Amino acid sequence: MAKTTHGASRLDAARWLRSQTAGSRKLVTRTIAAGLLAGLFTILQMGLLAWIIHAAVILDNSAMSLLPFFVGLVLAITGRSLAQGFQARSAALCSHTIRQNIRIELLSRWQALGPVRLLDTSAGTLAREWVEHVEALHGYFARFMPQQILCIAVPLMIVIVVAWLDWLAAIFLIISAPLIPLFMALVGMGAEKLNQEHFQLIGRLSGHFLDRIRGLTTLQLFGQTRAAAETIHTRSHQYRRVTMRMLKVAFLSSAVLEFFSSVAIAVVAMYVGFGLLGYLSFGPAPELTLFSGLFILLLAPEFFQPLRLLSQHYHDRASALGATEEILRRLESDPESVNSKYAFEEHPDEPPPAATVATEERIVIQSAHVAFPNGRVGLDSVSLVINRGEAIALTGPSGGGKTTFLHLLAGFLRPCQGFVRVFGYPAGEQRFGWLGQSAFMVQGSWADNLRVTCPDATDGMIESALQAAGLGDLLTSRSGGIHSLVSEAGGGLSGGQARRLGLARLFLADVDLILLDEPTAALDAESERFVLASLQRLSTQGKTLVFATHHPSLLGLATRVIRIDGGRILNE
Amino acid sequence: MNELLPWLRLIGQRKARLFVGAVLMLATLLSGLGLLALSGWFITATALAGILMAAGTAIIFDVYVPGGGIRAFALTRTVGRYLERVYNHDTVLRLLADIRVHVFRSLAASKSQFRDRGSDWLARMTTDVDAMDTLFLRLVAPTGLAALLSLGLVGILGAGAGFDFALVIAVFLISAFLTATIALYWRTGARSYRQQDALETLRGDVIEYLEGQAELTAAGVVPSHREKLLANTEQWSQNQSIIDQRSGWHGAISMLFVNGSVVAALWLGLHLFQTDVISGPVMVLIPLALLAMNEVYGMLPDAYARLGATIAAAQRLNRDSGYPSAAATEGSARSIIEDSAAMSAPALAWSGVTINKLAAVGVKSDPAAADQMPPGFSYAVRPGKHVGFVGPSGCGKSTLANIAAGLSAPGAGRCQLESEQGVVAPCAHHAWVSYLTQTTHLFDDTLGNNLRIADPNASDQQLLSVLETVALTDLLAQLPEGLDTWLGAYGKQVSGGEARRIALARALLRDTGLIILDEPFTGLDETTRTVVRDRMSPWLAGKTVICFAHSPAALTQVDTVVTLERLH
Repeated sequence: MAKTTHGASRLDAARWLRSQTAGSRKLVTRTIAAGLLAGLFTILQMGLLAWIIHAAVILDNSAMSLLPFFVGLVLAITGRSLAQGFQARSAALCSHTIRQNIRIELLSRWQALGPVRLLDTSAGTLAREWVEHVEALHGYFARFMPQQILCIAVPLMIVIVVAWLDWLAAIFLIISAPLIPLFMALVGMGAEKLNQEHFQLIGRLSGHFLDRIRGLTTLQLFGQTRAAAETIHTRSHQYRRVTMRMLKVAFLSSAVLEFFSSVAIAVVAMYVGFGLLGYLSFGPAPELTLFSGLFILLLAPEFFQPLRLLSQHYHDRASALGATEEILRRLESDPESVNSKYAFEEHPDEPPPAATVATEERIVIQSAHVAFPNGRVGLDSVSLVINRGEAIALTGPSGGGKTTFLHLLAGFLRPCQGFVRVFGYPAGEQRFGWLGQSAFMVQGSWADNLRVTCPDATDGMIESALQAAGLGDLLTSRSGGIHSLVSEAGGGLSGGQARRLGLARLFLADVDLILLDEPTAALDAESERFVLASLQRLSTQGKTLVFATHHPSLLGLATRVIRIDGGRILNE
Repeated sequence: MNELLPWLRLIGQRKARLFVGAVLMLATLLSGLGLLALSGWFITATALAGILMAAGTAIIFDVYVPGGGIRAFALTRTVGRYLERVYNHDTVLRLLADIRVHVFRSLAASKSQFRDRGSDWLARMTTDVDAMDTLFLRLVAPTGLAALLSLGLVGILGAGAGFDFALVIAVFLISAFLTATIALYWRTGARSYRQQDALETLRGDVIEYLEGQAELTAAGVVPSHREKLLANTEQWSQNQSIIDQRSGWHGAISMLFVNGSVVAALWLGLHLFQTDVISGPVMVLIPLALLAMNEVYGMLPDAYARLGATIAAAQRLNRDSGYPSAAATEGSARSIIEDSAAMSAPALAWSGVTINKLAAVGVKSDPAAADQMPPGFSYAVRPGKHVGFVGPSGCGKSTLANIAAGLSAPGAGRCQLESEQGVVAPCAHHAWVSYLTQTTHLFDDTLGNNLRIADPNASDQQLLSVLETVALTDLLAQLPEGLDTWLGAYGKQVSGGEARRIALARALLRDTGLIILDEPFTGLDETTRTVVRDRMSPWLAGKTVICFAHSPAALTQVDTVVTLERLH
């Protein structure tokens, strides 16, 4: 069962990879065209080489009379190199464009998920997909994909030329070519089988080193580093022996290729040699000349070269497929939840709230119903009207729907029934202030951290916002003031300080509505004082505050306390 | 380039293997070259002989010697390639083992700088190590072989076809060599050197963008941040693309020079042939041999386009492992520490240690420590005392514990461990300390081996007894292979609470005078906690015990509880 789904996802991944080139047809075509051109110039080069030798040795032409052919030869090798260079260039550009497009697609996907569902997956994992996994596709688009076509087209061109020269030699090449993938597949299957047998052992052995590095502190504490170094040595060599057992089989596939290309040269040489000596009287052999014989000989290795390149690039395909499966999982993960962005349009019978004075001064939530993709009901027909300037405290047991309610007001979630209007606009359409449970900080100075959300803030505004959030003392202890790095002292900020940094952002923002999720949770007493004072101050400035909390003092600050449990408002 | 030296030296310790590997590669390349050149020679010779024979001249043409040669080359090329690949990959894996041991030793000897680094650092280090173990196969060997083969060919040409001929070919080959190596490095080195660091910055940007989604959305600035992120990525990817393009062009131009040498050899050879200095077949042999040189030159651009990145990788490894000073002093310093686990209960005192302006409040015992107190955190624990420290998360408990265990040095002030024999040097602290760190690390190894890290000579009976102390007898009964059951990613997945108790058992098993426990009961339910706390007592008796926790309920049985608070 697991195996079939795996196989299916591989197929999907391969199909998806191919479909990604659609937007960059031009570059793909250019890459392949350059590769074909390089192949043509190679044939031309070999033909001219053979002809010059034939003319000189057999026809006794003088060097000067062959000068035009030399000029042609120089042009041919120049053309070949130019074509190859262009191939590399187009391939790099093509891969670059496609990868950038995939990144844009991932970004839109993140956007569509919204801030809440997005961080169901850790930011580290998402970042790895965006950076590494997309990067792992490079080899596929730049090398493997064009080579897939070239490894058929170029040998085909060569076989046609050889057939024109001597059909018997062409037949030999034609026979050997399909044998190669066959043998390679056989050997590859053998390697795969070995691989599966050793999978667990290999995983265990190769992970051993990282595991010991990760636990180095523990090893040091127990004075076991020397013993651990010994085991790393032993395990690494064990790993080597197991891996080598596998590689010995896996390398047979490249040996097959090498064997055919060597044998092809040898057989062609013998056939042509005997033919030229007049020993062979069958088929086209008596017609062989030094030109045709030499030409065929020179083309024989070029016939196998594209296949050799393909097998070299084969691991590019494997790693791209692996990465694609991860990317696809993200891109295809249930794109529109029940709380679709477009849910509004699906309920045209909703009363379109006219932008009257009344709605502009109010936040209106009317019979809003929120369900999660897993079917759990987040909010069950909640209705509430909040007037401008109110401070609303949301309380209730955890999991009762407080955070969902805040997400609804923020527009992070859309109701599948009912509607939300924030001062006359759909939720999330206008800027608002947000302070989540986890602190958000960027690498850089204090000023950078405030300008993330308020790009136009002046230094003075930033300074007073930080003061207001109670970070003044910390700032004066730093030499560069607001331009000193946040993490200058090494350890970064404490949870409370980070929360206050978030508050400073709220002071700076010119917004009407501020949403806060447990603003005092897990704070030290001092930070808590500052949060309370700050909220008081924001409230007196006339801002509308909605916060989820259990904190008694915060409840006291509220103009109204709303209790939410089981997705319903219990009192009002 | 100097960054690579320690690694080249390390690799160089396997001289014999490297030599054999290089010889195998050379034999394979020579077979390929010989196969093509001899075949060309053979065809030309047979063509000439055929004409003579057709004209009625009676000549005897020996087809067997060249024919045999061609078959032999075809065979040696196939076999040589296979053997070369197998042998050299074996070498690479041996080098990998050497490098891993070396890196591990260096990291173990260099103190604590790497401790706080996350999984990204680990992943990057793996890539860096891989860059070092292929140094020989990708960089050194192809460069050496290209140079050697070119020199050899030019030498033979000089002897056989004259100085001028050899000189012309040498100019072409040198140009090809320089184009594919130094020139390419010169044009991509700096860019390639920066790429990995740029990638880390990019990753940081992405993570910030993601973690800040809610706030950025609220502030309505997502589009501008998104554009910036895309632009940065575009820039990074563009740089990578430029490296690839340059590598491609240099490879193509290098090929042009090699093919140019073929044309030149043909042109010059033609004159020698027409003045009867060389025969027709030999005239053919030389350009064909040169044509085969494309194979070895083709291996170069890839390695040189990457050289900048390889140097950066070496530099990071050198920095992380504190090469070379740490590796040199390791042996002597380690041996003293590791061999003497100290028994008697020592005294421990922090004085004036500064971390985040932490202060101990509610200190009710040990008034001796109170006089002449410098700023910062000060507290003295008498020998054999059990002291619990309680404070909110982030107040610096783990840092105090790290300092006590000698894992990190205080920013200011000092932490002194005093045994009956006298003061213990900070670097020797951990010989006296059994320390349960806040984070649990179990190794991908058997349960027994995980415990025996604390005491390699512990008997199964001792292990069972300590497992009973931490209430893991039930778990043990479930395990199919008992103490030999493999834990971790490839074996039995234990829960967080079970892992914590295994780590606690490990800390108890190590018989030292001082035990430091940082949040010993994380992930344990109330009942288990009580059971374990009671059963631990005999193990802690007679020792100095320091326990850190977020609340008094999470402490072990202690004589004194000290409340910690952050002043700011």
